[in-house]
Amino acid sequence: MPDVNLTQLDTTPVVLLIDDSQFVHRLLDARLRSESISLIGEHDGKVGLERAIEEGPALILLDLDMPVMDGFETLRALKDEPRTRDIPVIVLSGMNSSQDKVAAFDLGAVDFVTKPFELTELRARVRSSLKMSALLQMLSQKAQIDGLSGLFNRTYFDERLKGEYDRAIRHGHPMSIAMIDLDHFKSINDTYGHPAGDAVIAGVAQVILHELRSSDIACRYGGEEFVLIMPETNPEQAYNLCQRIRERCETITWARHPTRSVTLSAGVVGADDGSSINCTPSAWVEMADRNLYSAKQAGRNTVKASHINGSAVQITQSKAG
Amino acid sequence: MNEPDPNAFSLDINDPEDAELIEYFLGELPERVSAINSAVTDEDIKELGRIAHQLKGAAPGFGFPAIGSAAAQLEGSIKELDESFADMKAVQAEVESLLSLCQSYITPK
Repeated sequence: MPDVNLTQLDTTPVVLLIDDSQFVHRLLDARLRSESISLIGEHDGKVGLERAIEEGPALILLDLDMPVMDGFETLRALKDEPRTRDIPVIVLSGMNSSQDKVAAFDLGAVDFVTKPFELTELRARVRSSLKMSALLQMLSQKAQIDGLSGLFNRTYFDERLKGEYDRAIRHGHPMSIAMIDLDHFKSINDTYGHPAGDAVIAGVAQVILHELRSSDIACRYGGEEFVLIMPETNPEQAYNLCQRIRERCETITWARHPTRSVTLSAGVVGADDGSSINCTPSAWVEMADRNLYSAKQAGRNTVKASHINGSAVQITQSKAG
Repeated sequence: MNEPDPNAFSLDINDPEDAELIEYFLGELPERVSAINSAVTDEDIKELGRIAHQLKGAAPGFGFPAIGSAAAQLEGSIKELDESFADMKAVQAEVESLLSLCQSYITPK
């Protein structure tokens, strides 16, 4: 099986720095630039906690000595909050006391770095914590991944759709979803056997992953059905993306049946502005399904798209073939 | 307490990343100096301690370990003060040596 599981994890990890000193922000911003991370920062514990909930960073660098809400208090709050509990925290401190170190580890910190920073050491510690964080994340994702396709499974989709839907509404951002179904899949299984059918499922999943951007979420919905969640994507863009998947799928030569190509149909639904949505996440799935059905009715190997409010999608040909 | 290896904090003005940090720190120094002066005038020993603490942690990383040490000495002396009798005069020498060191970078001799 191709190792596609990691593909969906392969994004630049976000590291959140919480420190009241602008000097430290400036210093780490320069000194961690060479690492493949995206550094974001806050200057006090309270706002830092909110930012951590919002962004879900892969790692938090937390200063102990801050006015208002100090590092220990912030660390306790981070570990009490279910949404931030599992994020590793490296404590930064200008006080090199074992008492502070022990207290920080007791509260759940994974590491401790003393100021002034020794740079190579700091970088090594950041790297090792990120590695652990990625492995933990992968472990929890294993339970959410479909074994055959390597895409997320149905359970994950249901959860994630709700989350992305809420986020689109809150920020008034665009969002689209797509239901994809392989055309005449049953006849492939019947004619060439189930291993051939499995190879098609895995192969189409690869095509989907290849076309998606890192922020998109691809899931196997069941059988020969796939579903995509595309945050920050209007229905026109989602339509073009599905067209690329459709075109690419059609051109694949399959080792087990070189003369028989496989096509797919897709139904897309989306909104330009999340704040205008006034239906439930499950209504999105139904609407995408309806568009998929009309794509099938139109002769298959087709993509049909509409806005969630029912209006048609203006089709502009994507430049890339 | 472990003394940091001073060589670990030597920056190279010819390295663009180092130069950027040195420049930033020097740009910020006048503001810190006036913050120290205000804290002294207001007899705000707590604020003075906070500034010293931040300079102690940050200055070496920007290539100014001497400022870091002077700030560490000031912070140490402030910590030894009995808070109820906190008197600026007791740390006057440390304040002056930190300030004159900072000044020497602001207006190079």
